[in-house]
Amino acid sequence: MKNKISCTNCKTIEILNLSDKELVNFSDKNVLSLSIDEMKSIQFYFKKLKRNPTDVEIETIAQTWSEHCKHKTLTGIIEYTEEKHFKKTKKIYNNLLKETVFKATMELNKKWCLSVFKDNAGIIEFDAKNGVAFKVETHNHPSALEPYGGSATGIGGVIRDILGVGLGAKPLANTDVFCFGNLDTKNFQVPEGMHHPKRIAKGVVAGVRDYGNRMGIPTVNGAVYFDDGYMANPLVYCGTMGIIPKNKIDKKVNSGDLILVVGGKTGRDGIHGATFSSIQLDQESDISAVQIGNPIVEKKVLDTMLKARDLNLYRSVTDCGAGGLSSAIGELGEKTGVIVYLDKVPLKYEGLAPWEIWISEAQERMVLAVPQKNKKRIVELFNKENVEAVFIGEFTKDKKLMLKYNNYVVANMDMSFLHYGIPKPKKFAVCKVKEEKIQKFIKMTSTDLSKIFKSALSDLNVCSKECIIRQYDHEVQGQTIVKPLQGADIEVSGPGDAAVIFPYIAISGTKKGIVLSNGLNPSYGKINTYKMAASAIEESLRNAVAVGADLEKMSLLDNFCWGNPNNPETLGSLVRAAIACYDMSKAFDVPFISGKDSLHNEYSIGGKKYSIPPVLLISAMGVIENVANTVTMSLKNDGNKIFVLGVTRNEIAGSVFAKIKNIKDGIVPTVYPKESKEIMKRIYKAISNGLIECCHDCSEGGLAVAISEMAFAGDKGVEVDIDAIKTKGKLGVTEILFSESNGRFIVEVIPENESKFIEIFKGCVFAEVGCVREDKYVIFESLKNKIKIKEKSRNLLKVWQNAINL
Amino acid sequence: MFEVDIFTKKGFKDSRGEHVLSDILDIGIKGLKKIDYSPFYIIDGSINKSEVKMIASELLSDKITERFKVVSGVEDKKYKNSIIEVLYKKCVTDTVSESLVKAIKDLGITKDVKVKTGHKYYLHGNVSRDILNKIAIKLLANTLIQEYKVK
Repeated sequence: MKNKISCTNCKTIEILNLSDKELVNFSDKNVLSLSIDEMKSIQFYFKKLKRNPTDVEIETIAQTWSEHCKHKTLTGIIEYTEEKHFKKTKKIYNNLLKETVFKATMELNKKWCLSVFKDNAGIIEFDAKNGVAFKVETHNHPSALEPYGGSATGIGGVIRDILGVGLGAKPLANTDVFCFGNLDTKNFQVPEGMHHPKRIAKGVVAGVRDYGNRMGIPTVNGAVYFDDGYMANPLVYCGTMGIIPKNKIDKKVNSGDLILVVGGKTGRDGIHGATFSSIQLDQESDISAVQIGNPIVEKKVLDTMLKARDLNLYRSVTDCGAGGLSSAIGELGEKTGVIVYLDKVPLKYEGLAPWEIWISEAQERMVLAVPQKNKKRIVELFNKENVEAVFIGEFTKDKKLMLKYNNYVVANMDMSFLHYGIPKPKKFAVCKVKEEKIQKFIKMTSTDLSKIFKSALSDLNVCSKECIIRQYDHEVQGQTIVKPLQGADIEVSGPGDAAVIFPYIAISGTKKGIVLSNGLNPSYGKINTYKMAASAIEESLRNAVAVGADLEKMSLLDNFCWGNPNNPETLGSLVRAAIACYDMSKAFDVPFISGKDSLHNEYSIGGKKYSIPPVLLISAMGVIENVANTVTMSLKNDGNKIFVLGVTRNEIAGSVFAKIKNIKDGIVPTVYPKESKEIMKRIYKAISNGLIECCHDCSEGGLAVAISEMAFAGDKGVEVDIDAIKTKGKLGVTEILFSESNGRFIVEVIPENESKFIEIFKGCVFAEVGCVREDKYVIFESLKNKIKIKEKSRNLLKVWQNAINL
Repeated sequence: MFEVDIFTKKGFKDSRGEHVLSDILDIGIKGLKKIDYSPFYIIDGSINKSEVKMIASELLSDKITERFKVVSGVEDKKYKNSIIEVLYKKCVTDTVSESLVKAIKDLGITKDVKVKTGHKYYLHGNVSRDILNKIAIKLLANTLIQEYKVK
């Protein structure tokens, strides 16, 4: 029979007669990461077909149903129990993402959201003709094993997401956020078989640097966070933003279209990458899950694909990411069906089994749906640019996945089973909300405060990341106008809050810009994941607003990195963070447009399991009407007035100060959206009217750190009256200087603009607290408390600059 | 088969060597004074020495800051200093070698060649073989995808 399975080139897997226990053992042994319910569904399906599956079929199902591809925890059933003030409440989520993050977006219903949660990236409107796409991905487990290759393929993969959104967007900027173990970890503390955090950090930074720089895409924004909890399981987030014509956003596949694979050849790289990401790390994690990137190939694919897009030579496209051809073609052909000839796939070397060809995660490959009439032209175009382009099959209309190898059928399954046959898992989540107790005031002398102040500046999570940032080309393409390091000159610089891209080359004649920022606060999450998520959202928005973004044109991306969701407490903390996403998105009126999750971030040493501190990275993107109306964070001119906008509260828990002083109690910074949203809107108005010279958001380290960063970046001095800072109730000097309350900004205003500035902020909480000094001293003084901290601005710069050397 | 070794010329900074030395000191290993870094390429195929010299000169080395040495077969000379040699394991994608194979064709050499890329670290100073193995594993080779030799 023509379509009968033939196993000359594949193996038949005996599962029809396996017991439950044997099914589980089979999944474990073959790194399939399938649960017993999933294995039983597969068994049931093949019992109906009256045959055993082939290895190709089993591997295809495992990839398609993997946590990485299907997000089955966050889209599955979760029975959530919350205990607060000795009261228990229960709630069933049938799809946590749809009922929190996605729900907020649907309810906000912004017309300028052009494509959300359905393609490889989210797209918002840039102008009448163009949209702007943004995606952030994680590549944690590969980076733990091979930091250079893992992170390089992380950035390479997310660039392909942008290339695979709609009919392809042109990448304009990259972002990267990393969480590493402490760099000064002693060698004996590093688990056997794992790399030292410094080696991981160096390799990861080099991987992103080499891939991003060679692609000619600037890396413009990011963050690095250090904590022992990431020692054996680093987190590597890579993001890419790109511009796409609005008429290239929709894509579809027609029956009869040809399947074209372009780019890299297929090898054994990354076999089981998708299912591997659902497994904890241990000493025996193996080579086949490691992919190696080749940016030169991807750059050629990018350039040629955009030419083909503009010539309307293909109808749909997606990238080969996790699960390789299996996921990409399975996804494109979901509504039609496909026939693929695996022996036509270009290989790096001989000897690959059909299932290996089908699920390999070899890099730099894109899959296109090409109308028959364009067959010749599109291949000529790719060949002319020295890019391999090979037709490997066709989209059919029988809604079947048919794979052939040397004329033998090696897989024949219903698309409906592949995409919808997965049983919805049910998981249990529990969260006991800890009661936070207010921290008693901590009295300190001027000398002690000064020491703490310097410790905060040199803390790994506050200090300069210049040694990393300077390795990246953040100028290539010549469109980065607000850069990651800002200041008076190359020798003195401070940390920019957000990046602004002015795409005047990509879109001729535009005045508009694109702002990119991020927020993450893992230390808050150790105590309260709701507040961590809320703070990350607010921080990302604050950062964008600080450079001149309009809150009404902002969008968000979520990236959850969590431990094992089979642990109810771990999952409970994730549910709380997702609830915060809904609440904050609604409160700030800012929609989520895309997201991703990476679960099972656990590692095992000597049989004991360790989970990472949970992280929700929030990346924000917005459109700025006029890039001329943007500001940086460095102080500009002597004599200008300094204002602190927002309220300082006694919120020390999870702060840099609490870490330095080893304080476990206190209140984690809360978000007060009503207060901060109003301030953010007015900052936009004031910047647009040219009333603000510089603006900086107040986050890790608190006011003392933020104000001194502004001073040394501008090579200026500053004088601050601590008593003038607006607080909620009476606060001590320590709390005022080091509390990390949300919703605060520091701005510089020239005296002539003071009255207009004050008029704009009428009704908000704010205060004039000092001025820019020409003598280059940073002074914090409280006459009430007889406290005076006086340091040379350049000395503080050195403290901030010299803490890390990668 | 030929081996091409690339060396930094005297008077120019060998920043990779300096970084490796600094990393070695960071993990608490003393006794080394200097590290010289040298990338190397094994080129196999029906190709002659003068063609390999052209490849080394045009593609593999910077004429101002680097010099090269071409050896027939694989370099096996004894050095007074220790050498750690790192190569990719079989089946691991070697993107530099892929680019090099293409570049050799672009150079006008149409013969089929296979290329392997590697790294050599010349360690000046007195350390035991155990320490050399430790340096290789902790800093220079990721044994998941690379193999190393201590010479």
